[in-house]
Amino acid sequence: MVEFIKRDKNDIFNKPLLGFLLKNRKFLMSLRVVVSALFFYGIYYGFAHPGKENLFTGALFWGIFWALFMVATLPSFGRIFCGICPHGFLGKYITKYGLQKTMPKWMQNRYIGITLLVIGWWGIYYTFPSFWKSPLTTALLFYGVTLLAFTFYIIYKDMSYCKYICPIGTLTRAYDKLSFTKLETYTDSCKDCRTFECASACSYNLKPFSFAKKNQADDCTLCMDCATSCEAVKFTLTKPSEQLFSRFKTLNAEVWTYILILGAIPISMSFAHGLNRTKIADSMIWNQTANYFGMSEYAGGFAFAYAIFFTIFFSVLGLFLASKVLKKEYTLTFATLGYAYAPLFILGSLGHTLGSFFTSDYQEIVGGFAQAFGLVVEVEPLAHRGDSWLSYFGVLKWIGVLWAFILIYKRMKLIEASKVRKVFAYFFSSFLLFFFIGLNFYSGYVFKTYGAKERGDSMHKSAMGALKKERPQSEGSYAKRGQMQESEPIYFTLTDPKKAVSGSKRGSMSHGSGDKKRVPSKEAWLVYGKDITNAKAIPEIQIETFYYDTKKKPNELKVEMKKGSRVYSFETPENGYYNLYAKSEIQTDKEFLYKVAKLEYLSGRHGVETLYSPKVKERVLTDKTKIDLIRIKKDEENSFFYKSVMGEELAFKALFESLPLRDATLVITMQSGWSKKVQTDEDGVAKFHIIRDYFPEWGSFDKRHKEEMLLTLFHMPKESEQYILTYPLSFYPNSSDYASYGYALLLISLTLFISGVIVYRFRKNRTKPFSELRHEE
Amino acid sequence: MKSKIKKIINNMNLSRVRFWIQLFSFVLFVYGGYFAIDLGSKLPIFTCPYNEQSGATCYLIPLQHQLSMPAQILLGGAGISVIVGLVTFLFWFIFLNKAWCGYVCPFGTFQDWLTSLRKSMGIRYSTYTQNQFERLSKIKYVLLAIVLLAPLLMGVGALGSEWSAAFCQICPARIISPMFSGDLSQWKIDFSTKTSMILTAIGMIFAGLFLVGSFIKKRFFCFFCPMSALHFIFSKFSIVQLTKDGSKCSTCGDCYAVCDMQIKDIADDVKSTNILRDDCILCLKCVAACPENDALHFDIFKIRAFSSTREGFEKRMGLHKPKGDSGE
Repeated sequence: MVEFIKRDKNDIFNKPLLGFLLKNRKFLMSLRVVVSALFFYGIYYGFAHPGKENLFTGALFWGIFWALFMVATLPSFGRIFCGICPHGFLGKYITKYGLQKTMPKWMQNRYIGITLLVIGWWGIYYTFPSFWKSPLTTALLFYGVTLLAFTFYIIYKDMSYCKYICPIGTLTRAYDKLSFTKLETYTDSCKDCRTFECASACSYNLKPFSFAKKNQADDCTLCMDCATSCEAVKFTLTKPSEQLFSRFKTLNAEVWTYILILGAIPISMSFAHGLNRTKIADSMIWNQTANYFGMSEYAGGFAFAYAIFFTIFFSVLGLFLASKVLKKEYTLTFATLGYAYAPLFILGSLGHTLGSFFTSDYQEIVGGFAQAFGLVVEVEPLAHRGDSWLSYFGVLKWIGVLWAFILIYKRMKLIEASKVRKVFAYFFSSFLLFFFIGLNFYSGYVFKTYGAKERGDSMHKSAMGALKKERPQSEGSYAKRGQMQESEPIYFTLTDPKKAVSGSKRGSMSHGSGDKKRVPSKEAWLVYGKDITNAKAIPEIQIETFYYDTKKKPNELKVEMKKGSRVYSFETPENGYYNLYAKSEIQTDKEFLYKVAKLEYLSGRHGVETLYSPKVKERVLTDKTKIDLIRIKKDEENSFFYKSVMGEELAFKALFESLPLRDATLVITMQSGWSKKVQTDEDGVAKFHIIRDYFPEWGSFDKRHKEEMLLTLFHMPKESEQYILTYPLSFYPNSSDYASYGYALLLISLTLFISGVIVYRFRKNRTKPFSELRHEE
Repeated sequence: MKSKIKKIINNMNLSRVRFWIQLFSFVLFVYGGYFAIDLGSKLPIFTCPYNEQSGATCYLIPLQHQLSMPAQILLGGAGISVIVGLVTFLFWFIFLNKAWCGYVCPFGTFQDWLTSLRKSMGIRYSTYTQNQFERLSKIKYVLLAIVLLAPLLMGVGALGSEWSAAFCQICPARIISPMFSGDLSQWKIDFSTKTSMILTAIGMIFAGLFLVGSFIKKRFFCFFCPMSALHFIFSKFSIVQLTKDGSKCSTCGDCYAVCDMQIKDIADDVKSTNILRDDCILCLKCVAACPENDALHFDIFKIRAFSSTREGFEKRMGLHKPKGDSGE
């Protein structure tokens, strides 16, 4: 036994808070007592309230322990889940007073636990989806497992239940290898030890002093009994999965755990939950098979079986081929390279669990605990489905894939073979990874191409029907009230008129919520009304819409009904100018009206590799409308991010039947209501400056404060014929409005001056000759 | 023949060679626009796009723009463009490793010229103490974190759009590089929002500090450069390396004395073979200043391209000829 030791820097026992807590028996004891109390209370609560109103049991077992806590701790701190497990905690005391028999050889089989987990839990989970969900079955399950565990503890010694029978015993042991902690001893101090307190303190009959040499901690559950018995035990921080970088005694059961769990959880999930929610679910092989046998209600079970089959097939085939290429035994290759598959499941699962923690589980857990302890708590979920930051959790899956690729590389180093053989073996042993990546891409592809199945079809349709009935009435009433006159110009806007009325979020459009389309697109609305900031959606009238894309090709605008108003959308795959047109011809008793709404939209997105060439600026010549107005672009406009600013001079060319239109009236209306008239000259050109017409408070000044204006071109060749074209524009304050050069000059000179003085003083002090201290006599 | 070429290379006057390479690349990257040169936007050097005439663009700006896309778009197909960008960056990077800093970066060259200005004025230079050195050398990783995290936070809506390219707002290269083509428009404080006001003001202060700092301290800014931190992450994968043979080293400290970046390991560490540290700019002054045969060498594909030799050292120091030119 060692009384005192100088601890390494990376020893967690050396850290201020954690070191104290982990070595404190009382703290560990009370923690375990609390967890056990919760565990049994959860079971009791499940029996007492078997119905759906019981939130607590589900939240405790499936919200905290079995997904979140286990998945979060295994690849980080290691098996601390086992360290606080009530079975292990109570089992230690039960074993002490039990029969202490040796477990029969046939039971000392690590596949028992993993089989129980994969078939008994996951198999049932997919085949009978609602079976495990009720609080009663949950309580029954844990009650049964507890009874089973205690029976084993009474009969057999050395916590054999944990090692062989516990459904997650092998799983935690296997995934613990990914953690960035390691329990071992200061071997220099252990050399002289003859008493082995660490081993005698261990209820699992392990030898902690040998962990460092073996490069693994066998069945250690991080209960810290050894650490409190001897100072030479250390709990160190390592690189993530450092254990796997070098040799240790491998266990085939662990590799099988990685493979089976990967099949049973992420791959089955993406079969049974992911792909089964798409529109082409029926053509998937498991559904086909289930239908063939006439057992379509158990399709989930078939998906599970297929997932397990595919996973085993790809892993075994890949490793078999790798062993052939490497000219090594299959068992050796399997045990060495198979460990590289460890991160695939756990990191993807972590991302998934964390995501659902923020969207729903947090609320359920707090609600469940409040219910169980009679508290009144109002909780909101921490995030909503579709919140953009949640998608960062999705990156974890890909980190897992990358990690697995690195691990194959590292584990390949442990095999002796020539480089060329290793390269091929690397390829073959990555089969499972390719399958995993491919499946992810495939389900993404299926969702994008075919879309998700609509949930509750019938209800959806009836709701739509109700909407449809309602709509004509409301629009009819618009028309009846006669708010829009026939001669009133219509124009395009890029902001939803309904939103604009309610004054919600400005400028949040481009960051659209839940816009998952592959090709980015832009939405526009057709509106009317003199007040630009408060325009109204046009009623249903005969209108022809089309647009020219960046290649100046005409296209149809897509029209959809959204929230009761018509939305015109167009795809903007490339950066450049898009020209939208809407045309309507009306013949009334008095006159002929020809109305055109035009919008020139400049799409500029970062990360799109379109090059800006003079071609981008070329004008679109349309023969589809009789009247047109074209903005003449200046030489300075040489980027996709060009914005018109206040004070800038704009020039327009009016065309009528493709010829310059002279003496037409161009009316400029600003957002503030200010307006001005300009006449086109003989070339059809009209020029004007954008005036600056707002002076906000300094505090509310925002250079991205966009302002709108509307140009309306009127042309009347005859008394009874009127041509109207609208052209909306947006502009920003000029940079000279907010960029201040004087302050910059002042600031930079001040910095130069002050730092100069500091440097000067510093040097002067350093070069001061040594002078003796004088004491006053 | 082969040994003859080797001898010529090993005996070369490094500071002169370096000066011409730096001058060439300065013109290329600062005035390249006048010659219609555009080497893309993924360069591993501070060739600032705010200078409209630059012959290429610093990678940090497209990186920040790409990462600031809304999270869903970024993690959808657009993530590919980030990877493509990174691969292009690495493609450039592997050829020169950190020599991009020591030989190509116009901003680094500018600092070297400020240093020679100081030298010609007869003013001493400053150094950090070892303690200061260790503490300050972490700043570049903080700046790299700003480069990466600010856009990501913007992508999830935690930060407003005025944080777009936040690092560029505080980067002195944005203010100083355009001055080379006579553009003083970056000398401004942006009063449009409070955030941009603070960021641009910090940028101004950094620009001032840069001018003072690089005048009295060699390669002042490189010490804090996030690009240098980004380089170091990938420096192992480069085809060129700086290697040391500790058994031949007499720890005389010549290399440390000439090192602009004050890297102590170059003299002290006799164990590691790869002596490239995160602050290194691969200027190879240490190789030129080393008096031991093959103690330090610059390798391309593990082939010694430039080694320290006694002969070369003596030649550069002018020990043989009474009127030799004296290298640094």
